[in-house]
Amino acid sequence: MKRTVVPLLFAALAATLAYGVTKPRPHFDASLTVLGTKFHSLPRGAGKELVESSCFPCHSADILVQQRLTEKQWTAAVDKMIRWGAVVKESDKLAIVAYLSKHFGPDNRFTPIKTRPAGY
Amino acid sequence: MSFDQIDRRRFFMLAAAPLLAAQKAATPHAREALLQMNGYAVNAETPLELLTDYLTPNELFFVRSHWIPRTPDPKKWRLTVDGEVGRSLQLTLSDLKKLPRAEATCVLQCAGNGRGLYSPPVPGVQWRYGAAGNARWTGVRVRDVLDRAGLKPNAKHLHTFGSDDPPGKVPPFHRSIEIEKVLADGILAFAMNGDPLPVAHGAPLRLVVPGWAGDHWMKWLVRLSAQPEAQKGFYVDTAYRYPLAPGAPGVAFKPEEMAPLTELFVKSNITTAPKKARAGHAYELRGFAFSGAPDIARVEISDDDGATWQEATLDPRHDPYAWRLWSHRWTPSRAGVARLYARATDSRGNVQPREATWNQSGYVYNAWHFADVEVTS
Repeated sequence: MKRTVVPLLFAALAATLAYGVTKPRPHFDASLTVLGTKFHSLPRGAGKELVESSCFPCHSADILVQQRLTEKQWTAAVDKMIRWGAVVKESDKLAIVAYLSKHFGPDNRFTPIKTRPAGY
Repeated sequence: MSFDQIDRRRFFMLAAAPLLAAQKAATPHAREALLQMNGYAVNAETPLELLTDYLTPNELFFVRSHWIPRTPDPKKWRLTVDGEVGRSLQLTLSDLKKLPRAEATCVLQCAGNGRGLYSPPVPGVQWRYGAAGNARWTGVRVRDVLDRAGLKPNAKHLHTFGSDDPPGKVPPFHRSIEIEKVLADGILAFAMNGDPLPVAHGAPLRLVVPGWAGDHWMKWLVRLSAQPEAQKGFYVDTAYRYPLAPGAPGVAFKPEEMAPLTELFVKSNITTAPKKARAGHAYELRGFAFSGAPDIARVEISDDDGATWQEATLDPRHDPYAWRLWSHRWTPSRAGVARLYARATDSRGNVQPREATWNQSGYVYNAWHFADVEVTS
């Protein structure tokens, strides 16, 4: 009896924990429905933390890591985001553009995460 | 046997079993996945090889969100109808369901589907092929709702508002659409493929605009306002505009060289083709085709770079502005890499072009789609 029950209890516990880590994580207001459950991370490099703190309040890294933009296009994109409320110090803008241009330039390759958006 | 003796693999299989069983019970497509283009706000496309059904299953249907929706509370939700009307309305979902039912089976395609295929690249969600699907939308006619409100003749545009709430100083995704189009074809949908409209697709109510690009299909609707003029704002004045005539790839069009994007363009995609084949043997190719016109007249396949074309067989299932599935028995004649092109012609005579018109926003990519097959003798 014990031999069967113990693994099943662990299985149930693991399933509960698994659900806990895969269910939508509220990044902002908990009343918002967040459908994505996991996101791309950014590659290491100078400027990574600045990009995370400036961009992640509004969107995940996925939208960044799929772009294939020139420095000119990245500059325009960052300026647009600042107009739209991204909190970026003028002194940090160049480092952010440099990071994005270096890692997500015209030759960038992107593999989407396979996902099932929640909410069904 | 103690817990220590359970090997790791068995443990995880046991642990995963209840989750997998629950997921499988919830949906028949539990093992198939979407391709996530953004985690939040959620954007995900359907893998092209899964777009083989006449009706795209809800759980495989692409998701496009500008912002993150507030979870709708069905008890508090109301649709406000105001503007140039005799009397403003506040409608509950049950009020709407008392009106005559309307239904349309048609394609929803994101305006940016294929943006990732443009060269040189342009910023935005890098959709490839799967930001399109065909579904049966059930609800009520926009015309019936506006008639109840007493639409005035000076109303020329319907302003549409969803409940999604952008952060910071980001402009809200507010749009407007010519009143003639929504009176003719517009549906306020609360069901999708026979099921209640999923939150990801705009529950409790979304606009359906057969034949027009997805930017008109406002999700999470809370207000319709009939107005003499089009709505102002970024998502009308700057975004969703398309060049009046082709230009040079990489050279941005000026605002006066563009007009609002409305109808979809004729397009076909190959969903099923062999990776390898033997010369002299027959293989089945499959795909879909759609347009801003109500039907597709033909789909053709070429294996000689467009010099000659073979006509594919169109599936008999069809509704206005729905896609046509097609199939074709193809027999490679010689060894080598065969590049198979698909080209559609719609019921108005529009022919899918070899190259799409490059535009700085990457809208409505519709170049000939191809599949490469390695043929051996």
